[in-house]
Amino acid sequence: MPPEPEECAAIEVQHLTKEFRIHHRGSIKQAFLRRLGGKDHIEPFTALNDITFSVPHGQTLAVVGRNGSGKSTLLGLLARVYKPTSGSVRLAAPGGGPPRVAPLLELGAGFHHELTGLENIGFYGALLGMNAKQLRERTEAIVEFAELTQKVDTPLYGWNDGAKLRLGFSIAVHTDPDILLVDEVLAVGDEAFQNKCYRLIAELQANQKTILFVSHDLAVVERVAQRILWLNQGVIEMDGSVAEVLAAYRAASV
Amino acid sequence: MLEELRELWRFRYLLQMLVARELKVRYKNSFLGFAWSIVPPALSVIVITYCVKGALGVGVHNYSAYLLCGIIPWTFFSTAVLDTSQSLLVNYGVIKKVYLPREVIPIAIVISNFVHFVLGWVVYFSAFLVLFPIIHRINPHFDLVGTPLLPRMAWFPFIVLAELILVTGFSLWSAALNMFYEDVKFILQTLFSLVYFVLPILYIADVVRYSGLMRDRPWLYNLYMLNPVPAVITAFRAALLEPAMPQEFNKSLAALHPTPTSVPVPPMVYLGAFLISAFIAWSGYAYFNSCKWRFVERS
Repeated sequence: MPPEPEECAAIEVQHLTKEFRIHHRGSIKQAFLRRLGGKDHIEPFTALNDITFSVPHGQTLAVVGRNGSGKSTLLGLLARVYKPTSGSVRLAAPGGGPPRVAPLLELGAGFHHELTGLENIGFYGALLGMNAKQLRERTEAIVEFAELTQKVDTPLYGWNDGAKLRLGFSIAVHTDPDILLVDEVLAVGDEAFQNKCYRLIAELQANQKTILFVSHDLAVVERVAQRILWLNQGVIEMDGSVAEVLAAYRAASV
Repeated sequence: MLEELRELWRFRYLLQMLVARELKVRYKNSFLGFAWSIVPPALSVIVITYCVKGALGVGVHNYSAYLLCGIIPWTFFSTAVLDTSQSLLVNYGVIKKVYLPREVIPIAIVISNFVHFVLGWVVYFSAFLVLFPIIHRINPHFDLVGTPLLPRMAWFPFIVLAELILVTGFSLWSAALNMFYEDVKFILQTLFSLVYFVLPILYIADVVRYSGLMRDRPWLYNLYMLNPVPAVITAFRAALLEPAMPQEFNKSLAALHPTPTSVPVPPMVYLGAFLISAFIAWSGYAYFNSCKWRFVERS
């Protein structure tokens, strides 16, 4: 028998199910009419259905699947944004204990456009779990990696999207995460910066960091991932090596 | 609830950064910056003293002090509750992607508004306890009169704390409810613009006591005072100011020969209002926690 996988896995997902009761945001009038008409019963929608997998430390796992297959829900559950309906999610640092988890945010989320780059680093870093000391030590490296120089003292509304993406990416990777969660944006910016991102990811991989990313870009998946999880309508369609799963996924997508 | 409070404590640095961000953003691009917390109350004292007082025929000596004791607490309450009702939507992109105890966001808004509230009182005290008495001594013809230093001002920090508890509770309710019903913001806006006239902000509560329905019904007045907002405003006035007679605010009340009771609110009513505030805070926190996981599960 091999050793228990729970002992060493970075991500341990067991029988994970997530149902959404979609609450349409609306007015009090609508809510009242719904209740009055006896239509308050909302059909639950199962986004993930009894998913079980585990990711060992240092592995880079890509999650692929069509829109609505549950990829983003899975990411949300791993980031603790959602509560599981049933089943469990366990994340662990290499030595056991709670890990540092860094989600990469969408462009603009978490930034305030009237504040300068430096001021934003403070808030965004704190949001991703850095403390005052870490922020002081790493701010310089963050600015340098994001290639921002003097721009960092100006408010964000004057920045282009590329610069904001670079800053967000740079802050996230400088939190020194044990587990990096990425939705689509693995490498950002122009080609030169993207290459830099890939080099950094290779470095993270060499340092036994765990990366879980969701992507539709199969070329990126092929380049970075060490294993692929294919989701289809809330269940695992396939879980295996890059070559194997990609071949099957491409065949199914035709 | 204990576990949630512990989690909140673990995220205190984020809370601190969020408050700092709120404060920075508010006056970021203005020339006067932080002075904008101080300028409006200072200007309103001048306008009230020289314009409003004469126009309304208010005879009370320090009308601007009475008014500010209503306006400063009311502005904190209404602005904080309205700001928090929008706060989770403004930060939706964040709460959808990153784990944080979500109550951090409305609580940060309350604290940043609390900072302005405290600055408002700083202006109030420096004007009425220091600046105006000096001006009055130099030239008594200016209508700017100070207020005396009273031992009962020691109550002030407790009243501030009571209001903070009340505002936090209301804000948690409005932040959570606004995630499910868009009407909440509009209801609050309408309600606040109306109750501005119903609450003892422009006049003292004793005026209410002696007019209309409550004249012969002290119990109704006590009921009105159980509402924490008039209670907190009246408590501020009772602690900081000399008692005023209702007919100084409304001359027609003189015919009723109001008795010059200095503290028209029984202590038990204050206690009741405080307990209601505490209940609003506790229930707001419990309600927020009970539905905070559903905030992002909507379409």
